Amino acid sequence: MSEQLTLPIRRYGQATNARIGEIEKAVQPLLSVRNLVRHFRLKRGMFNLSRQVIPAVDGVSFDLFDGETLGVVGESGCGKSTLSRLIMALIEPQAGEIAFDGKLVGSRDMPLKEFRRQVQIVFQDSYSSLNPRLTVEQSIAFAPRVHGTDRREAIAAAWDLLDRVGLRPDQFARRYPHQLSGGQRQRINIARALALRPKLIILDEPVSALDKSVEAQVLNLLKDLRAEFGVSYLLVSHDLNVVRYMSDRILVMYLGRVSEIGPVQAIYSDPAHPYTSALLASRPSLDPMARHTEPPLIGDPPGLDAADAGCRFRTRCRSAEPLCHQIVPKLTAVSDGHWSACLMADRNSGHSKTIMRTRSAAPMEEGSR
Amino acid sequence: MTQPRKTNLETEMLVNVRDLAVTFATGGSTINAVNGVDLDLAPRETLCILGESGSGKSVLLRSLMRLNPARRTHVTGSIVVCGHDIQRAPERELADLRGSVVAMVFQEPLTAFDPVFTIGRQISETIMRHEGVSRGDADRRAVELLELVQVPMARQRLAMYPFELSGGLRQRAMIAMALSCRPRLLLADEPTTALDATVQIQIIVLLRRLQQELGMGLILVTHDIGVATETADRVAVMYAGRIVEQSPIAEFVANPLHPYSRGLLGATIEAAKDGNRLKTIMGAPPDLSRLPPGCAFLPRCERAVAECRSVMPSLRSPSVGRAARCVHVERE
Repeated sequence: MSEQLTLPIRRYGQATNARIGEIEKAVQPLLSVRNLVRHFRLKRGMFNLSRQVIPAVDGVSFDLFDGETLGVVGESGCGKSTLSRLIMALIEPQAGEIAFDGKLVGSRDMPLKEFRRQVQIVFQDSYSSLNPRLTVEQSIAFAPRVHGTDRREAIAAAWDLLDRVGLRPDQFARRYPHQLSGGQRQRINIARALALRPKLIILDEPVSALDKSVEAQVLNLLKDLRAEFGVSYLLVSHDLNVVRYMSDRILVMYLGRVSEIGPVQAIYSDPAHPYTSALLASRPSLDPMARHTEPPLIGDPPGLDAADAGCRFRTRCRSAEPLCHQIVPKLTAVSDGHWSACLMADRNSGHSKTIMRTRSAAPMEEGSR
Repeated sequence: MTQPRKTNLETEMLVNVRDLAVTFATGGSTINAVNGVDLDLAPRETLCILGESGSGKSVLLRSLMRLNPARRTHVTGSIVVCGHDIQRAPERELADLRGSVVAMVFQEPLTAFDPVFTIGRQISETIMRHEGVSRGDADRRAVELLELVQVPMARQRLAMYPFELSGGLRQRAMIAMALSCRPRLLLADEPTTALDATVQIQIIVLLRRLQQELGMGLILVTHDIGVATETADRVAVMYAGRIVEQSPIAEFVANPLHPYSRGLLGATIEAAKDGNRLKTIMGAPPDLSRLPPGCAFLPRCERAVAECRSVMPSLRSPSVGRAARCVHVERE
């Protein structure tokens, strides 16, 4: 656990009301996920008798600290959306546990209803996530009313939130979702997520459906609201630039597993996993004089049904060795708070291209990430 | 296409569009999707049309092959593609042109392919239709084409249905089909938007290589500036159905002319230094059924002045090969 203490956590909204004990609180993760597993059975073949299993999320563990933004990146099918739905308890995990504020979710200390008050989600599709028959103010006031706020108070709070997300309440409160643009609808979804004053908001591809000029507006808004409300974000996105702009720490997923996790600067300037390097190198160059001549990776991500022993990235990895077919790499510390699930990050793994910068190359112990 | 060409096409523009306007009738209102576009493409040139959703970029591209729904679409202006007047061509002539002279790659290959035929069948059908060769010859060409677009195990893939291929392979197969009759002009509508990052860059590199090796003209429609900087010789920025700026790519990135172009480049996250806020373009694009008489970008523009309100600014060219519709651009 001692590694965790040195994590560079930027904290927001505490400058004015910092108290003794605040530091202690920062050590306790807001959200702890341990060995989360969810497999899906593929419905294929006659009478759906196929036994093919897709391990969408396969033993994922991480911590998220109060006030930080953790970015989750990966390509389609890597399990990042399944992960966000598992955390929201929208689908049930087959194994693993989630703790919130140190209390096990689903236990008597943190019943599901209370957990869902503290954790909210914003989806990619801003239209289908709003009830088309409710006006904007009704949508925002809905959850507080379910949790016992009286109607007039809830509507007043909704108007206040509309103002905070940059929409004039007198113009927008009575509108229906179909009368709004995509960017406006996403602002409504954000206001609705804030209505219960949650501690954590899961943002599942919040700007992927928006145009670039609107995307920038919404990202700026999300940053402002984090400072204003002191919420934490779990930001799921396939867009490496969005994640970089928003996050304090990054978690990279590949085929259901965590391949790398660490502070944003470390991941982007000094990636330790070959998949992360390839993903970063795949971003289009913005300099027409420095175009790609070769793609960093060949082939598509393989289907998850190919999952078996060994490293899942080995089929596309330039550094793959016979060893990679046999051993599932564990997350190994490469520097402070920066772990990589690659045999090259582990000095004692026997891989010929072990990264020598490794400071303390002991595989991480269970439960300490 | 065995007849001799009418004119010397090597020196002539591949695409010559003048004063193109496209409107759609929907319900009670008229959507002005394209509002007076002039566009040229030289042989072997790559042009990127850059714009947000609703800017008219896809409608413009589809007009080049007359693919917009005929009954609801009203088109004025002239479109000449490889010497053929697309507006006046009879349906029969168009069917000959599509695929052999000009071909299109769509954003979503899963919906662009017919799901009930194998990939191989669909590619060889195109070849047989245009070149009148036997099925055996067409099948052989199909294998060569899949190898050209770097599909591994090409022969086996030809027997597969579209749903059996991954997204990247489907898009490669789509490109193979578009190239099957050696078109002189390739149109691509957001060809990499539906793909993952590591696959997107593969398709970008492939498209650029094929364009150079086969000597085609290429028009790419995209909302992603990264795709433009990776591929384009020249960009045309569209806003509310008009081309508001045309520039060679390097000059565009270094010094955009139009305030909208500046906004787009400023809104990219790469432009924001660590910790800084993103520059945004305030507001949202205009309603295409009620366009203002003046500059459509005016309500979102920081440099708007009185004269922007009355008439749409004409194209002003500050240097050779560059032009923008903005009153602040100095003429050469």
